Amino acid sequence: MNLVIAFIDVAARLAAWLILAPLLPGIINKVKAWVAGRRGPPVLQLYYDLNRLRKKSVVLSELASPAFVAGPAVAWVAVLGAALLLPLGPAGAALSFRGDVLLVIYLLALARFATAWAALETGSAFEGMGAAREVSYAVLSEAALITAIMALCIHSGSVTLVTMLTPAAGAGAALLGAGLFAVLLAENCRVPFDDPNTHLELTMIHEVMILDHSGPPLAAILHGASMKLLLFAVLLTEAVLPVGNLPPFAAAGALAGGVLIVTVGVGLIESLLARLAFRRVPLLLTTAFLLCLFALLVAWNGGAA
Amino acid sequence: MTTGELLLIAATGIAASIIVGLRAPRAWLVLTFTGTAAALAAAIAVLAGGAEWEWKSEFLVGGESLHLRLDGLSALFFALLSVISAAGAAYAHEYWTDAEKPESAPASRSWWSVMTLALGLVLLSSNGLHFLIAWELFAVSSYFLVTLERQRREVRAAGWLYLASSHAGTLCLFGFFATMASRTGSWELGPMREQVQLAPLFWLALAGFGVKAGMFPVHIWLPSAHSNAPSHVSAIMSGVTIKIGIYGLMRFTGWLPVPASAPWTVIGIGAVTALLGIAFGFAQNDIKRLLAYCSVENIGIILVGLGVAMLGVSHGNALWGRLALAGALFHVWNHGLFKSLLFFGAGSVLHATGTREMSRLGGLWRAMPWTAALFALGAAAISGLPPLNGFVSEWLVYLGLLEAVTSRGSAAWAAMPALILLGMAGALALASFVKAGSIIFLGAPRTAAARHAHESGFWMRWPMLALAGGCVAIGLVPVFFWPAVGRAAGIWQASWPYGPDSPAPVSPLSVVHVALAVIAGLAAAGLWWLARKNGQRRGKTWDCGYAMPAARMQYTGGSFAGIVAGWFSWLLQPERRSQRPRGLFPAAALRVETIPETILERVIEPVADVIMQVATAARRLQHGRLQFYIAYLLVGLSALGTYVALGSDPNVAQQRSPLRLAGPPAAYPASHASTWRASP
Repeated sequence: MNLVIAFIDVAARLAAWLILAPLLPGIINKVKAWVAGRRGPPVLQLYYDLNRLRKKSVVLSELASPAFVAGPAVAWVAVLGAALLLPLGPAGAALSFRGDVLLVIYLLALARFATAWAALETGSAFEGMGAAREVSYAVLSEAALITAIMALCIHSGSVTLVTMLTPAAGAGAALLGAGLFAVLLAENCRVPFDDPNTHLELTMIHEVMILDHSGPPLAAILHGASMKLLLFAVLLTEAVLPVGNLPPFAAAGALAGGVLIVTVGVGLIESLLARLAFRRVPLLLTTAFLLCLFALLVAWNGGAA
Repeated sequence: MTTGELLLIAATGIAASIIVGLRAPRAWLVLTFTGTAAALAAAIAVLAGGAEWEWKSEFLVGGESLHLRLDGLSALFFALLSVISAAGAAYAHEYWTDAEKPESAPASRSWWSVMTLALGLVLLSSNGLHFLIAWELFAVSSYFLVTLERQRREVRAAGWLYLASSHAGTLCLFGFFATMASRTGSWELGPMREQVQLAPLFWLALAGFGVKAGMFPVHIWLPSAHSNAPSHVSAIMSGVTIKIGIYGLMRFTGWLPVPASAPWTVIGIGAVTALLGIAFGFAQNDIKRLLAYCSVENIGIILVGLGVAMLGVSHGNALWGRLALAGALFHVWNHGLFKSLLFFGAGSVLHATGTREMSRLGGLWRAMPWTAALFALGAAAISGLPPLNGFVSEWLVYLGLLEAVTSRGSAAWAAMPALILLGMAGALALASFVKAGSIIFLGAPRTAAARHAHESGFWMRWPMLALAGGCVAIGLVPVFFWPAVGRAAGIWQASWPYGPDSPAPVSPLSVVHVALAVIAGLAAAGLWWLARKNGQRRGKTWDCGYAMPAARMQYTGGSFAGIVAGWFSWLLQPERRSQRPRGLFPAAALRVETIPETILERVIEPVADVIMQVATAARRLQHGRLQFYIAYLLVGLSALGTYVALGSDPNVAQQRSPLRLAGPPAAYPASHASTWRASP
């Protein structure tokens, strides 16, 4: 009986992550259109795109090995695995154990490895640029992310995601939220780190890595990217709000509201800011790291939880 | 068979293979396999819970009776040694054959056996004097292995640097063992944590073993030695011999007391070693040099684990110390497996193309699918990615650090910066191995050598397969290997329970890893199937509409590492040389960027130059003129006489020197009277 319940639980989580994730880029685009005074694409545009890509044929580079298709699949599974480890408010996580937070970080690293590897399969200099930027900037965003995790660990006195993300973030919440938001923008290649709308390959990170992908592999990449965005939005919301301590419906509302605010925030930033010059990106990431570091110091001084 | 009998078979087999190796390659291989298999069986017997093996003999070597011991800690390293030694021997059977290398192949086999034997003796010795003898034998034999191709100048230079650094380390170890023997009154080794007066000796051990392990900044010999040695030798050096330095540190931090500042120092050195080692590695263009620098990084991770464990002991046997120690010990195995695999892969590439320069390669996956796939697996494992073995050990070390942070004790002040630095080092390692794998194996061949590459044969392939199998096995079922690591950790600190009743913290990882491997495999197959079903065609790589993409337009390793090399330019000090295209019809243009051995060339060599100058100046004192020598004697004697006449205090003269060797002072043998040699 327990097995059946566990099965239903995992299936429900899977469905939630898989179905809700493509909503986020739609909301961002709607916000951007609204700020610019346009009508913009429908919120569900990514669903239509994914459905169409699913049926399309594939053009492979003459140079590409089978890993060109396997890479997006592995990256997609890795992000999905990381999402399943993330607790959803009082409902907890599909699987929780001591140190699962490190597994989440390394699953995201696995996704990065697979994406960059698949990008370099083509031998294109553009994709080389994108992959080089992706893996290099990840060094700084990883430092910021680990610092944020340490702040949460110290604040909650636990190294398990479920208990780490339950209490409110306390005095350092604003700092932690700002730092994690910057990491979210960098890891998901949004403005001001990268511009998902640009068509000039020289200036991109994520978009340029997937230039040669088409058909179902491209669908896997786009869907994986939207799940990663949702993952970071959920992580940010739960790090700042005490979602785990709320009754189920309030928690669901808080979670949805938090994710919505983060998504609208991304859209507003995208509308109001320009993309940074590449040499300034490390500076901004270092700022994110410092924000998380101050959050860590605040948590340290905040007394035992 | 008992452990002793197995070890006897192992020793006989390896010793016989030293002689046999000179003539008969096949018989050498059989003997090496037999010996290493017996050694592995002995190690497994001890690790699986059997009694530790100890053997004391009345037989004297150098005036000391033989005392050998195989306990859990040495058995862990012993198992790694036997696996890599066997794999390397098999690999060399095709890689370094009599037909291709008639001058050095017989020597390579014999020295391989000598080094295996010497390493085994280092691990077994329980007597300081014999430890030193075995240590020296190991250093010399690995010198001859490094310089097998000594007709090449850079190999000779690497060999000399290795020999010199190695002996600088050995000098520290001489001081370490001799002082220990003088203070305890015996060369016998064993647990003596209660003798607190031995604590300062830790610094000598750290310097001596640290040189061998390749810790920053005394890693200077490692990149050139590991990159210029034949690839099977690089594999055992990176996989095993640098771990012997770690073994020394683990052994003697487990047996001896350590000063209070030692854990902090080890964590600090470890974290810096990890980050700077991989920063150097990422910028390299030579594949084997990149792998060598990455070994420096992994030694850093192991040192952090060891340092946290030492800190845990001084913090009332904290749980996080146990986790970090288990992680460090696990990483010894894991790094041994995947680094040897990667060096074998690099050797295959070198064998097939004749170059180690990554920017001359590219597109090799088509010609060498096995090597490419296995190298990719090793690259993912060394980047610490789940579901492979690198993640298991790094997870344990990181978890130890994270728990130390969460404990909010003073240990957190070491753990917080260490965790941040290790996190950055981990991301850089991932970047380095994306670069190495993709520049070598993906895209289009950049040169004719890369176009005409060929896959390696059976004897080079199956050792790689076996090591890759080990990486996957430890990754998927770490629970199975956990008791062995726990047993070794329990030897280091006896009061730490790692027994079967303490729940293995790695068990959830097994579940996740197996699920991840299965689902990722299914997803990849599903996506491939879907792409095939929808129709799949091949086209040129998209290059912004450019009609004729060429192999030279691909991103190179240097440009891939450019961003990070810029961040670390204060350390890497890249040397740039460029000639811009001039005029309407430019004839030539070039841009060369090389990464020097900064620490060696900018730090160590200036110091060495000063020492050389002082030594050269002092050398003028010796010129062969007898009357001046007599004058020196007179000056010396009169100075001594003045000193005795003025400052002699009978009480001071009676005091025992703390460094005096135990036992009655022996009469100074006449043969030790120094002889003067006139310079020509």
